Amino acid sequence: MAAEHRVPAPRLESQLADHLHGFLRDLRTSGLCVSTPKQLDFLHGIEIGRPNAIDVLYWIAVTTLTSSLRDRDVLDPVFARWFTDESIPPSPAPEDGPADDGEVPGPVGRDATATAENVDPRGTDDGLEPSAADLEHRRRFDVAPRAALDEMARIRQLAPTVIPAVRSYRRKPSRRGHWLDLRRVCTLARRTQGEIIVLRRRSRPRRQRRVLLLIDVSGSMKQYSTAYLRLAHALIAGCERAEAFTFGTRLTRVTPALRTRDVDAALGSLTDLVRDVDGGTRIGAVIDEFLDNPRYVATARDAVVIVLSDGLERGECQQMHRTVRRLSLLSHRLVWWSPLAVDPAYRPRTRGMAGILADLDALAGVDDLTSARTQLERLRATCTSERHHIGERRDRIPETTRSAS
Amino acid sequence: MSTLSRDDLAERLVAERYFADDGLITAVHLAKTLSRPLLLEGEPGVGKTEMALVLARALDRELVRLQCYEGLDASQSLYEWDYPRQLLELRSAETSERGAADLYGADFLLERPLLRALRVDSGAVLLIDEIDRADSEFEAFLLEFLDGFQITIPEIGTVTPTTPPLVVLTSNRTRELHDALKRRCFYHWIPFPDADREREIVRARAPGLSERSAAVLVDAVNTIRGLAPLKPPGIAESVAWAQGARTLADEGWEWADAMRAAIGLAVKHEEDLALVDGHDSQVYST
Repeated sequence: MAAEHRVPAPRLESQLADHLHGFLRDLRTSGLCVSTPKQLDFLHGIEIGRPNAIDVLYWIAVTTLTSSLRDRDVLDPVFARWFTDESIPPSPAPEDGPADDGEVPGPVGRDATATAENVDPRGTDDGLEPSAADLEHRRRFDVAPRAALDEMARIRQLAPTVIPAVRSYRRKPSRRGHWLDLRRVCTLARRTQGEIIVLRRRSRPRRQRRVLLLIDVSGSMKQYSTAYLRLAHALIAGCERAEAFTFGTRLTRVTPALRTRDVDAALGSLTDLVRDVDGGTRIGAVIDEFLDNPRYVATARDAVVIVLSDGLERGECQQMHRTVRRLSLLSHRLVWWSPLAVDPAYRPRTRGMAGILADLDALAGVDDLTSARTQLERLRATCTSERHHIGERRDRIPETTRSAS
Repeated sequence: MSTLSRDDLAERLVAERYFADDGLITAVHLAKTLSRPLLLEGEPGVGKTEMALVLARALDRELVRLQCYEGLDASQSLYEWDYPRQLLELRSAETSERGAADLYGADFLLERPLLRALRVDSGAVLLIDEIDRADSEFEAFLLEFLDGFQITIPEIGTVTPTTPPLVVLTSNRTRELHDALKRRCFYHWIPFPDADREREIVRARAPGLSERSAAVLVDAVNTIRGLAPLKPPGIAESVAWAQGARTLADEGWEWADAMRAAIGLAVKHEEDLALVDGHDSQVYST
């Protein structure tokens, strides 16, 4: 059936055809690259659907030409330009970007703003635009001294032994295991005229849990960020599945940058990536942003989550409490490492920290790589023992009578 | 069957009490007519899976369902040889001194959902549910299947269907799907329905509900969605809430009280319950 529909070219009146091809061309120049098969689908769709209203034509275009919700941001204005005068009601079309090459509205400009908005919907009013001040941060990450490199090597070796492992769901052939590998047993048996001589087995191989690092790079953490980022570099190299994010006033995923083998080069490349170094902290808002992104949330689910921060929240504490609780529920273990806690006299009395103790599995002091390694060793006990939160929940949501009042 | 028009399709869906908007109907119609897989995304509980279930009934086709999970592989989704039977056949052929049957014939083939969907003569509706839960290796494995709806089994050859199945994939966007997969599919994002449509849905699924009660309930659901809870209630939640509250209303409860008592069917986070309690007058304004 498929072939039947794909072979003959659609018989459309030439004027209409020109209009449709113009629309498709405009779509391409606007930044939505639609492959030829998809364009053919669009034309076939019109033949089959016989749209008698612009709405139907719009939905044919959406179905055949887009492959994600974001594509509609490009499609909608172009469609409106070619087929209607006003924008399409179902989803508001974004305004066109500045025209930068003749009469075609600038797709590049619009694309750029769209991605910027995806990263941080709050825009630029919190001073996130790169400025001359950023240049100073280039010098922030010093070349790692010998001692730091040695310590990192130790952490890399230590990591696989402390990160808990779970069984993978994909059964692999192995020497011993719970499951008979019927396929291999039978293949072997056929060689011996159906006589089973050896059994082969399958097992679920062990696989490390994910590790998620959330690193505070705000002003109050200035003297520790370098060590923290080196720690992240070592953990990403040493663990099977580690992810690292930095946060200050906004959230940045730094895992790909930290995969660079050389630690100085890796940290150097962060200078361009992390734009909010030494700024304020909005822990609640940032974790909220993290939790809003389903792909990010997937990295926290059943993971060992380590937050490296002093917990000095500049925003409202309520939000921080709420989001940390959710993070705790998502994670396997939630551990908070604070440079302040190195001091034995430290008590988490700030409103921000006091409210989240009930959701933490451990609160420990980490201010350099050596203390990080000590805490990593303790992580093994935290992860293997039964889950036990360190604080009491004080602000418990009151039991309300939801029955007839 | 392939000449089913868009309007006919819409009618049949309504007859099955599924109220799709124009976009979804167009997407399904095109996917069916051009025999392309259809990828449905949307918030949890907007009726992605339900769409496939209803389609099977509406088109009078067999539904074949493949629930994805981490570690899903070819032997669980495509086909597997019946190894114990093969061995028994070998042994019995040995004792009875007759020639063994073809060990790789159709008799020894265990069909799994993807193969099953190809072998239904009148065409099946294949639901590949929550594709984002499977790992990316599985996604890559699906590409050949989605391309031409055929499967190559080395010992038998290529299996092609007499009628191509109507394939519906759903995703909750817990991870980004590969572009190669998306390129092969028609894509539709199912939004939350508008209030009128949701009232229709609620009344169809919770029969016996008065128009006014349904309106109150849908308004409440929309208010809750507007409060930015952790998990905005989907249509599935609205329907469950309506059904639960109606059961209580039948026992003589006031509608607003019945809704309060059954709130757990719509809101499932402790934080969200507190949020709803805090906005009691807004949510239950009648």
